[in-house]
Amino acid sequence: MGAMKNVEDYACRFLLTLFVTLLFVQVLMRELLGWGLPWIEELSRFAFVWFAFLGAAHAAKLNAHNRVQVHLKMLPPKVYNTVIIFADLLWVAFNVAMVWKSWEVITGLLEFPYISPALEWSMAYIYLIFPISFTLMSIRTLQVDYQRLFKGEQIVDADQAEIEEISKSAVGKS
Amino acid sequence: MNVTLLLFGTFGFLLFIGTPIVVALGASALTVYLVTGQDFSSLIVLAYNAVDSFPIMALPAFILSGALMGDAGISRRLIGVAEALAGRAAGGLGAAAILACMFFGAVSGSGPATTAAISMLLLPAMMDRGYSPAYAGAVTASAGGLGIIIPPSIPMVIYGVTANESISKLFLAGVVPGILLAGTLLVVNYIRARRLGYRSSEDDLPSKSIWRVLREAIWSLLAPVVILGGIYTGMFTPTEAAVVAVFYALFVGVVIHRESSWAGIRHALESTTWLTGRVLIIMFAATAFGRVLVENRIPAAIASEAIKLTDELALIWLVVIAFLIILGMFMETLAMILIVTPVLLPVMTEFGVDPIHFGVVLVACCLIGFSTPPLGENMFIASSIAKQSIEAISVKALPCVIAMIATAILLAMVPELSLWFPSLLGF
Repeated sequence: MGAMKNVEDYACRFLLTLFVTLLFVQVLMRELLGWGLPWIEELSRFAFVWFAFLGAAHAAKLNAHNRVQVHLKMLPPKVYNTVIIFADLLWVAFNVAMVWKSWEVITGLLEFPYISPALEWSMAYIYLIFPISFTLMSIRTLQVDYQRLFKGEQIVDADQAEIEEISKSAVGKS
Repeated sequence: MNVTLLLFGTFGFLLFIGTPIVVALGASALTVYLVTGQDFSSLIVLAYNAVDSFPIMALPAFILSGALMGDAGISRRLIGVAEALAGRAAGGLGAAAILACMFFGAVSGSGPATTAAISMLLLPAMMDRGYSPAYAGAVTASAGGLGIIIPPSIPMVIYGVTANESISKLFLAGVVPGILLAGTLLVVNYIRARRLGYRSSEDDLPSKSIWRVLREAIWSLLAPVVILGGIYTGMFTPTEAAVVAVFYALFVGVVIHRESSWAGIRHALESTTWLTGRVLIIMFAATAFGRVLVENRIPAAIASEAIKLTDELALIWLVVIAFLIILGMFMETLAMILIVTPVLLPVMTEFGVDPIHFGVVLVACCLIGFSTPPLGENMFIASSIAKQSIEAISVKALPCVIAMIATAILLAMVPELSLWFPSLLGF
């Protein structure tokens, strides 16, 4: 259960380290040995796509997705929460549509396989990131809303949290 | 025209009720697909293709390298250099903050991290030497955005990928405008500091000699040489340069300065994750939105309407700049570039504007948005460190903002300011 709480975070740290290292190895090999391996670039790109979409789910958990909400923040907190939760339900509906369609695309790819050139992997497996990420994103969104609504927690978004942390450490140092 | 109304109507409505920008873009494109009865499985393929690109991998790598450089003590030493260089003149520390933001821009893709690092080190120093806290906060907040126009620049990477333009060329195009904007701020700071009587006396100056400061900062000063030198000698692509920067920061932090920490590295990885994740998913949605625009020839229609009103390019630029700055007050920079580019770029090219030139003006406007409330990230940081209200800092920042807007207009009117330097180097 503890691992599930931050599954995207761990996966993303791993994938990020992986593709940055792979690309660095490729640069070194090209500059020092004069040749490269085509699968390195392909694997790093696959890792990057998975990283990006899992990162979006992690961002949902941190309430980091950008919204235009200057005007909404002027509303009383209860009204604000209701509006945001309504907006988030629309978000979940959008995610459901994407999950449903991506399954269709994946079953299509299983039937008529499309093979990646260097690693010779079926793209159907790479596309699995879409149902996974859009499902996780919905779960994380609802989680945040649950805390907002039933626990009455003050939800701070990620940017605000970062700014507060920076200022705190600055005050501590000076 | 009905599709236009549907697309922008849904988009505006969703944005207004507070759905994330990605949903407003994606769901309005989806709505058009549903209403016109098209199959939207192409959206999934689009989602994959929008993100599966080698140039865009520079984004996480530059964010990561910037975070690691802070942790490695590279940033701190650069600030030391700026302080040593600008110490004596009127408003010397203010000038140091502006120079530091420039140096900083040359090593990282920037963002609020720049203002944070600089405010943390220079704001207390300025206040010690009698600067009013609101003024000190205003200078650092206005200068904090400079990094996004000075290469390497994360917003330029995003623009280059969206507009399908060379990122290396965009980086070069940002050099002269970046120096110009920094120069504008230096002049404003000098004039105001002289009038207010902010000067450093001899004994306030850092005791270390300039040579010692430079020697300590040698590894920090080499960072832009490695990154930009690598790109322009043709050794690496911008993406590879960003990856090299990551390992450079790690090397300097772990081996040379011995300041990197596990906690710092983990924090850098995590913030790279959410910053990249939320931008790239907008990238997908904006691509879908742009696709609908192009399929329905909406930018062309906007352009022909605009031409009917006026064919004076200067007037169009003024309207566009005003629009961008107002938008920048309410919207996060990268999201704004992703939304604005597919709508405005085709319109502007219709008027004969060079896409590289447009990109530079767009980023310059974003930079101004950085230091204007209500969504100026820089303002929040400066305000909490200087312990001044956002309003107080905004008032003090007003002259800086006005001067920067004037410079942005100049950049729009004189395309050579952006295009001359890249053409000099054969781009």
